[in-house]
Amino acid sequence: MNRICWVVGLALAVLSCHGQTPTQSGLARVRAAGVLRWGGDIQGGEPYVYQDSEHGGRLTGFEVDLANALARELGVRAQFVQSDWSALIPTLERGTFDIAMNGVEVTPQRVGRVRFTRPYYIFGTRLMARRDDTRIQPTITSLRGRRVGTLSNSFSSELLRGVAEIVPYEGVEEPYIDLVQGRTDAVLLDDIIATRYGEPKPELRVVGDLADGFYSIAVRPVDGDLQQALDHAIERISASGELERILRSRNVWNDRQRRLLTWTEDDRRRMLGTASTGQRFGWSHVVLFAKGAVVTMLLSALAMALAIPLGLGLAVTRLYGPRALSRLAGAYVELYRGTPVLLQLYVLYYGLAPIVKLDAIPAAVLGLGMNYAAYEAEVYRAGIQAVPRGQMEAALSLGMSLPLALRRVVLPQAFRLAIPSVTNDFIALLKDSSLVSVITVVELTKQMTITAVDIRGWALPGALCALMYFLMSYPLSLWAQRLEARLARS
Amino acid sequence: MIEVHELRKIYGERTVLGGITASFAKGQVVALVGPSGGGKSTLLRCLNGLESFDGGQVTLGGDVLLPGGAKINRAALQRVRQRVGMVFQQWNLFAHRTALGNVIEAPVHVKGIPLAQATERGRALLARVGLSHREGAYPHEMSGGEQQRVAIARALAMDPEALLLDEPTSALDPERVGEVLDVLGALAADGLTMLVVTHEMRFAREVSHRTLVLHGGQIIEEGPSKQVIDDPKHERTRAFLGLDRK
Repeated sequence: MNRICWVVGLALAVLSCHGQTPTQSGLARVRAAGVLRWGGDIQGGEPYVYQDSEHGGRLTGFEVDLANALARELGVRAQFVQSDWSALIPTLERGTFDIAMNGVEVTPQRVGRVRFTRPYYIFGTRLMARRDDTRIQPTITSLRGRRVGTLSNSFSSELLRGVAEIVPYEGVEEPYIDLVQGRTDAVLLDDIIATRYGEPKPELRVVGDLADGFYSIAVRPVDGDLQQALDHAIERISASGELERILRSRNVWNDRQRRLLTWTEDDRRRMLGTASTGQRFGWSHVVLFAKGAVVTMLLSALAMALAIPLGLGLAVTRLYGPRALSRLAGAYVELYRGTPVLLQLYVLYYGLAPIVKLDAIPAAVLGLGMNYAAYEAEVYRAGIQAVPRGQMEAALSLGMSLPLALRRVVLPQAFRLAIPSVTNDFIALLKDSSLVSVITVVELTKQMTITAVDIRGWALPGALCALMYFLMSYPLSLWAQRLEARLARS
Repeated sequence: MIEVHELRKIYGERTVLGGITASFAKGQVVALVGPSGGGKSTLLRCLNGLESFDGGQVTLGGDVLLPGGAKINRAALQRVRQRVGMVFQQWNLFAHRTALGNVIEAPVHVKGIPLAQATERGRALLARVGLSHREGAYPHEMSGGEQQRVAIARALAMDPEALLLDEPTSALDPERVGEVLDVLGALAADGLTMLVVTHEMRFAREVSHRTLVLHGGQIIEEGPSKQVIDDPKHERTRAFLGLDRK
């Protein structure tokens, strides 16, 4: 998921450099097409935009109702376009859809990048903690130094920046699972999310709401007239009571929303605040990237250190073990090779949490290591089988036991044959390690996506990130080539 | 010291060994000859358990090997293999060890002989096969003849009571055969018990005491080597030795 948005981001960065500026005004374009294309992510879940499983996967949610109402006000039809949530803004800039509307929070970074309409929803950032943990108070300062879970690049994460240790998540369920497990001290997220995913958990309590934030429709900066038309449309459905009806029907109405009905130009100025021009990409980012690279390297090295002996055990068991164990080793290899490592990480970290509560880094090492062990097992199996049979026969005929013959004669030779493949696997592992960001580990790729949002550009962080991966993998690749050449000679 | 009783081995439909009974005395050099596919190598490999068999038994000293392979015979096999050395057609030297490393591997790791002592003895054995100057060479750096002599030294390093040799000269260049046969002749003169599967009739005739002719999984003829090779009784032996073609 992360890697995809990384690639998408890079591609977008390149595309946006060449600028695909619409020649028509935004409103005229929408009217001419007769369609208002709006971008969102179905994965955001209930109640925003989601598939109604009871009605054949039809799209539903309060933003769907809203999009239909606003399109009607503009005299056009609404059309949903699926996009990864974290790539909504770059995808909007690229022109894939006319507006982005999917719980897009108004943050200083985004204000500097897109136009925002008046809000269609006001949320509170809700702080939740474990029921028995009284250290957490409804103030931002009580979070100083604590581990607090939130969504990456969210309004809440902005509030926490520089105060708490931010544990970034990609999904809305996982922060609360980890809070229950004690992996974090608190979770700060939009009240809509907290109500649905956090509050049902009996182990957790609501500490309080820290600040108000706004969901607003993002429009490209050049589409000023479209933004104004949408502002008027929102004003009309507010005045007519339709907005309230929509929000009530989806159970997201509360007293906070009354401000939507009396929205003024002053409110607007306060909401937008001072647009952040974005941080400059500087040394502090390079240092963060270097830290990310160290995490990536360390994770990969430890995972490989686990995968090698485990893979060796699996290969030997599969080839020489008793039938039952041999089958078991074979099943392990097929299971781990045949399922996505992302899923394995999820199961290990979240699924097994009630039984074994692993911290993120050990879980990442274990998950990657166990996955790669399956690949290593196959590499060693091929290596062992490539050692001529006569070597084993000679060893046995000298009175060696099978384990001794393996250890002294067959495996040392198999290892030499396997080294190039093992090195290649390690290079692949370096890059696969970016998947562990789903279990909150901030490694190189995650650092890149975080920075890209901070400085509002993918190109530079993307290039630096790519360079760092390259600097780590290229020497290994050279080493593998040299080894291979040396083996070919002997 | 080696007794084979009613040894049978079957591959699917094919009977490889059809109930072989034979006995090999201490100090004897016995040649196993016969056409390809006659069962010579299989018989040899059954004696130290590299092949399993389907019927009969093999007795070496006090140890008995039964049908069923490594699972049944594990303990006996390990003792037998430490007492009976084997030399292969393709040498099978450990590719990642030097000549000396090959020779001392088993004494150090199977018998637990201290490294210094094993090294000293290993050097003596290499000298005995005329390869003192090659102790640091890896297998791929040596000729076939040199490798086979190292393989013989490696087998001798375990102080075996007998040596099984499976076509020790078949894979060698013709000009290298002599150096290996010289070594084997010297070992025979020293009184080492040897069973040699061979196509070298001159070697069989001059060095071995007894010759067994195997054909179709049966011993079709046996006796003192000179007698069997110079004047075989069985027509198939005569055909195999090319005596009827004039």
